[in-house]
Amino acid sequence: MLEQLLPGFVEESAEICERATRNLLELERRPASGPRFDDLARGLHTLKGSAATLGLVALSAFAHKMEDAVLPLRGSDQPLPPNLADAVLRSLDVLLAHLRATVTRSEPPDLRPSYALLAKASKHSAAEPAAAAEKAAEENAQVKVAEAAPESGEASWRVATRQVTSLMREVERLREVRLRLDERRRELDRAIMQLSTPALSAQTVEARTLLLSVRRALSADGEEAADVVASMEDGLKSISTMPLRTVVEPLRRTVRDLCNSTGKEARLSVVGAEVSLDRRALEELRGPLVHLVRNAIDHGLEMPEVREARGKHREGALTIRVEQQGNMLFLEIADDGGGIDLPRVREVAQLRGIATSEELAVMAPAQLQQLIFRPGFSTREAVSDVSGRGVGLDVVLAQVQSLRGHVEVQSVPGQGTRFLLSLPAELGSSPVLVARVGEHFVGIPMAAVESSRLATLADLRIGRSRVQLVHRGQLLQVLDLGALLGLRQPEAPSEKSPLLVIQTQGGRFALTIDEVLGDRELVIRPLPQEVRELKAWQGAATLARGELILILRPDFLTAASKGGEHSVAATRRALVVDDSLTARALHRTALESGGFQVHTAASGRQALEQLKHAAYDVLVSDIGMEEMDGYQLTQAIRQQPEANGMPILLVSARDAESDRERGAAAGADGFLTKKDCVSGRLLSEVAAVINRRKGAQ
Amino acid sequence: MKPEPREESVAPELNELLERRAARVREKPLESEEESLFLVAEFPVGEETWAIPLESLRAAVPLRSVTPVPLSPPHVIGILRFQGQIVAALSLASLLGGRGWREDPAVLLVVDAGGGHLVAVDCERIPKPSGIPHALVGEARARSSGAVVEVILPGLRQIHLLDLRRLIVETGARGA
Repeated sequence: MLEQLLPGFVEESAEICERATRNLLELERRPASGPRFDDLARGLHTLKGSAATLGLVALSAFAHKMEDAVLPLRGSDQPLPPNLADAVLRSLDVLLAHLRATVTRSEPPDLRPSYALLAKASKHSAAEPAAAAEKAAEENAQVKVAEAAPESGEASWRVATRQVTSLMREVERLREVRLRLDERRRELDRAIMQLSTPALSAQTVEARTLLLSVRRALSADGEEAADVVASMEDGLKSISTMPLRTVVEPLRRTVRDLCNSTGKEARLSVVGAEVSLDRRALEELRGPLVHLVRNAIDHGLEMPEVREARGKHREGALTIRVEQQGNMLFLEIADDGGGIDLPRVREVAQLRGIATSEELAVMAPAQLQQLIFRPGFSTREAVSDVSGRGVGLDVVLAQVQSLRGHVEVQSVPGQGTRFLLSLPAELGSSPVLVARVGEHFVGIPMAAVESSRLATLADLRIGRSRVQLVHRGQLLQVLDLGALLGLRQPEAPSEKSPLLVIQTQGGRFALTIDEVLGDRELVIRPLPQEVRELKAWQGAATLARGELILILRPDFLTAASKGGEHSVAATRRALVVDDSLTARALHRTALESGGFQVHTAASGRQALEQLKHAAYDVLVSDIGMEEMDGYQLTQAIRQQPEANGMPILLVSARDAESDRERGAAAGADGFLTKKDCVSGRLLSEVAAVINRRKGAQ
Repeated sequence: MKPEPREESVAPELNELLERRAARVREKPLESEEESLFLVAEFPVGEETWAIPLESLRAAVPLRSVTPVPLSPPHVIGILRFQGQIVAALSLASLLGGRGWREDPAVLLVVDAGGGHLVAVDCERIPKPSGIPHALVGEARARSSGAVVEVILPGLRQIHLLDLRRLIVETGARGA
């Protein structure tokens, strides 16, 4: 496992060394402080931590020596002394050469000359070697570096991310082509059907036979194309993602080594590390995880005797829990140690000038805890191999933020500390439950779904303002997903209605849906920016036939369960019935601008279904719809006692007197052509039909 | 081998015709004629004629396989897949403030709304390419600086020339 990770570490180290080189060169010309110095310190610290994690003890110690040489100059108003910059630059070269030699199993360069160089350059050097010896050492270092293998012999390519994402788009296009093939086959089916009349000429029979054979071939081609697309998608996924365990498992060694060096005892438990993630994100996460684990052992866990005295097990519990909800990844690193010592945090923050005593006096505990993420913050009085240099948690925060993520810390004195990292996981796939609500299909991350069941009236408690469900001895609030999504008025579940029990982010409730279609492993992609800010959706995924499905955000449901998403300001309600998506959008625009809350239905049948559960102030319906036209819908509504007084406005693409008369005969209150449906005209006509109804009552 | 010039006798009237054509070509090169036209994609919205710059049009696709997005603003028809991207489909009539229409839109125009950002807008019919003299476009733009400029063509035919990028920004349809 560790050897497999070495090539990745070589790449990471090369990037860090390159950045450190740029920083060193810059710091030779300006005061050794500020973000450049912090970045240099972070780079060296990451090299040290990651090398230790991979069991490269000599290199970890070497990086530590470089830190020793550089860090005393933090905050200096003088540029970095050239001999020191030179020593660190040469040492970085040696470190990289040593690392590459380790990968290729060749002779690594001797580190001793570099130690000597660093010692000389550093003011804290214990002994000043003789000038001749230094010169020899310097030459020796250069020779060994030159001899070391320049590159890893691993047969792998570095490919730009955009090339992979561009390939993904091409696969998506191929999938569309495959869907078009299906469409062509259906068209062919229709043509063959038309040639199925009994009396056919010999030539037509021949043509039909030929078409049948083309259809069979097209069908086979379509299936093959589907296989190719699926296989390419799998290939791309394996290229671009990697299981999180490849980063998490090596931490066991870190924990062991750190326990040995500190005299502490700890056991690391890992939960959910099988989640596959974008390789880029994993590489970025390696450093923060190392820092947090080292931090938990050094700062969090108490010595075994202290733990025993506090009634805890000698062995500290360290837990890494990974959970993916849709395209959000949650990583929790928790320990059962002493928790963050807030008085000490306050003291150190003041001592190091991070905050004034006045600022500290008014800070809440949560704000004080956030101070540990400031650059240069450390509560350690003495510098150790593990920590105390004030480099670490600021790196964690910076790296997680660079992945568009967040870090939260929660700590209870005497009980432990919990770091929660949340970040988007764009390339990984995750299990999603597909459900239907009305005509809409939605995906719900499986991680949020505790179970599914059918409603029984015996278990339901239906009140005036809310519905509750008795589930495994607990009373759960029942929410109607259709209503939460603004698709209909809230509906209480009936006998055998499917229900989902949702448990997420501290909330537990039941969700009414219309149908469960099963679970799928889906790649969730971000929504276009026009709808990205909607709180309900975290992204969209493509189903097997190519259609897009929206994926819900579990936190939207949690907020709704607490009453945050369910307020309805509008007092008047309109139901728009039209089989055209754009017509529905246009009517909605006009009616919402007039203060209506608008629900829509794509067919007469759906409208009748919605009218069973809710009352509307007006219904606006298209006439020309398949299955049930606007006249038939009007007639059906007029036969329902509960809705027969509802004003109905019919809308037609045609402007014919006969249509108006037919609408009136069916029971409609008004008629408007689509070309007259400018927003003001539609609203005035809606107002007119409502008034006419009121006048008639 | 160098080709020998062909010596053929040409009738004087034919020669004169060829000369006249050559003079015409010399007088007004074809290229400059093309350069003087602003190429647009022209389509109807209700009773009116609208147009977008042809260079911004990426495709005209049938309005189907659009997934509606509940809780979205009313001008959002839904989302669709286009060449591997997820693209928002917007109602043009709604963005324009609610105009009437003659036929339910059946076409989506996939348009580059700036910087490679694709959006789809609905349309009653497949647009037809046409050219508007640059001078008229310049005059119209001098009269109005908004997302829509009215271009008056010879014969008093009016075209609403649309800058979709500006319209999306002006109506706040782009999102955050």
